[in-house]
Amino acid sequence: MTATPDGSASPDGSPSLAGRAGRLIVVALLGNPNTGKSTLFSALAGIPTRIGNYPGVTVEEKLGRFSHRGHSIELIDLPGTYSLVPKSPDEQVAVDVLHGRLAGVPTPDCVVVVADATNLERNLYLATQALSLGLPTVVALTLSDVADDKGITIDSAELGRRLACPVIRVVAPTRTGIDALGDAVLSVMQSPPQPPQGLDAHLSAVDPRHEPAAREAIARYAWIEQLLSGVVHRQPPASRPLGERIDDVLTHRLWGTLVFAATMLAMFSSIFWLATPLMDGISSGMDWVSGLAESLLPEGAIRSLVVNGVLAGVGGVVVFVPQIAMLFLFVAILEGCGYLSRAAFLMDRLLCSVGLGGKSFIPLLSSFACAIPGIMAARTIENPRDRLLTILVAPLMSCSARLPVYLLLCGAFVPNVAVGVSWLRLPALVLAGMYAVGVATAALVALLLSRTIFRGPPQPFVMELPGWRWPRWPVVLERVREAVWSFLQNAGTLIVAVSIVVWALSSYPHNDAVIDADVAAHREVLSTRLAGLSADDPDQTDVAEELAALDTDDGLAAARRGAAQRHSALGWMGRLVEPLVKPLGWDWRLGCAAIASFPAREVVLGTLAVIYNLGDIDPGEEEGGTALVRRLRAATWDGTNRKVFTLPVALSIMVFFALCAQCASTLVVIGRETSSWLWPVVTFTYMTVLAWLGAFATYQIGTWLGG
Amino acid sequence: MSLEQVAIGSTARVADVSGSDSTSLRLLEMGLTPGVNVRVVGTAPLGGPMELELRGYRLSIRRHEAARVAIAK
Repeated sequence: MTATPDGSASPDGSPSLAGRAGRLIVVALLGNPNTGKSTLFSALAGIPTRIGNYPGVTVEEKLGRFSHRGHSIELIDLPGTYSLVPKSPDEQVAVDVLHGRLAGVPTPDCVVVVADATNLERNLYLATQALSLGLPTVVALTLSDVADDKGITIDSAELGRRLACPVIRVVAPTRTGIDALGDAVLSVMQSPPQPPQGLDAHLSAVDPRHEPAAREAIARYAWIEQLLSGVVHRQPPASRPLGERIDDVLTHRLWGTLVFAATMLAMFSSIFWLATPLMDGISSGMDWVSGLAESLLPEGAIRSLVVNGVLAGVGGVVVFVPQIAMLFLFVAILEGCGYLSRAAFLMDRLLCSVGLGGKSFIPLLSSFACAIPGIMAARTIENPRDRLLTILVAPLMSCSARLPVYLLLCGAFVPNVAVGVSWLRLPALVLAGMYAVGVATAALVALLLSRTIFRGPPQPFVMELPGWRWPRWPVVLERVREAVWSFLQNAGTLIVAVSIVVWALSSYPHNDAVIDADVAAHREVLSTRLAGLSADDPDQTDVAEELAALDTDDGLAAARRGAAQRHSALGWMGRLVEPLVKPLGWDWRLGCAAIASFPAREVVLGTLAVIYNLGDIDPGEEEGGTALVRRLRAATWDGTNRKVFTLPVALSIMVFFALCAQCASTLVVIGRETSSWLWPVVTFTYMTVLAWLGAFATYQIGTWLGG
Repeated sequence: MSLEQVAIGSTARVADVSGSDSTSLRLLEMGLTPGVNVRVVGTAPLGGPMELELRGYRLSIRRHEAARVAIAK
């Protein structure tokens, strides 16, 4: 056959293929996990044309398209599976696609079974099952180069005769055998497939007391041993293979755990420290763009929308990119070389005790930097129940966005006294306590959910520890690209939309008369309060300063901005929720700040600065932080001299922000990763309820102890 | 005697896998069928999973799963 320019007809005019002229040939790629299936996918089809989830399940769907000798071929990458007797939703998807039972997914015309040449015995289990489906089938022997290095030789022609299907040796990274594989696909579709016989002969030899499925499994291995006898030759290696010696250290209960801890520490700190300059760069870039927009646009609603709505939203999206890229780079490398399974092996016991599995460790650890890459990294968990559970508790890990809130409140309201020993200070202890609150709550929630709504037959933890190999760079980079792109494309737009909605809520309705009256009333309140304070009262300078600021242009503008926000829809909502937040020790302004921080937790400080008439300062910086702390210290309940911010209130705010789901980006990413709006709603609800209960208990107990 | 009790570094022959649920079937499908030789490579800390070598590859299973695999005397 030769390629035709229009790519529509095959010149040999074979009956089955001629009938397909101009139509796509659908080829399913089936294989065990860790068999180099993704590398083969890239070698055949390049960059996927579509990546998403199969309808209704958290199982990744990956499609690609390529043409071979004039035929257009659609490639479906099925989830990695060990058997066609499905035991998990991802395996169920593979089986359903093969049988053409999944709506919206075309029925495959041909199956390419990926079989790891270094581990043929186990891989043939799935291959022989696939052959019995009766679809045209080709077996691709991947990792053939690694098998050569290990001294394993396979007579693929003889194996092909025994299996009655083409067996093609491929080395995907160098594209060896890729064309031959394409030719084999076209050739098997020309004649009806003849599934190999041979299983039945072995079935009769199995102890009949076994269940039918167990009998089949036992007989299938007996058959495979027979199929491979004389086909696979292993040259005993001169010395113990390097991979085994590496494993001796890396899965050792002591050395392995130490290496693991060091690896995780290195990974975690680089996400923190290497991503920070990039994130700062993005923030400065966005500040520059905002500044530009401010100088170009006339003052008014449009400028406010562009700067505080759109650009703030875009900045809030793009800022996550360095962390996502960094984490996926690490995960893809660890996965590519085979360490991810070893890490899961070492951590399994610990996570098992709270109803999760070993593979949940890396997603949860990365969530301390940011829940978004963490939730996305949960894609490496094959078991959908564990994956969903991990996604649901990941936002409870204290991410870096909570840190500014903790630092400001700990520094301002927690007495800097020693606890027991002189170097252990109370603020540091409270800070550590906030991280502990998150971890403990996550453990309890995971335990509770796994015993209740996620209860089900125990998922077997039967995990292959794949051979050590060098990561394939194209696969690694593709994973990073895909993670970043899917975040920007799918989550980005929604996050910007949420940011615009919150901007609108905090800007409208806008009534200048109301604002003027508010500022005048505020001036009155401050004057009265100042008159009642003696000169040595610590509040005296703060109140005097705030009053004096009203006579400056900047101070007046900030006060008007604060008044505008207090009389906006957001302010109204804050007053509406006041009865709900009062038991937490909060006034309505704190209620407003909590609502306004829905797009992102760190916004709470900026919102407080605006509400307390400081305007758009940056509370994350030294100067802005000090100004905000002084304003918060002086703040009183409306119409009284009673302070709002006391130690119990500061603690209750911290506990609330440790447990709440005030991060639209996280919720949007949960929605995307689970293909359902149910789970973001569940996450938001349970976390908000827990946050309220935690803050309530903290404030009430704190007040009781303090009083 | 079950696979769970096999000492690290030793090899044992599988006699049977008990139970008829999906976990038992998965153990069989991964190649732990009667007659196959299995070497116990190591175990994870704190009573974590076991690392096994069989049919030319490495597999890890939890201890309570290993307890289902009976070993030939």
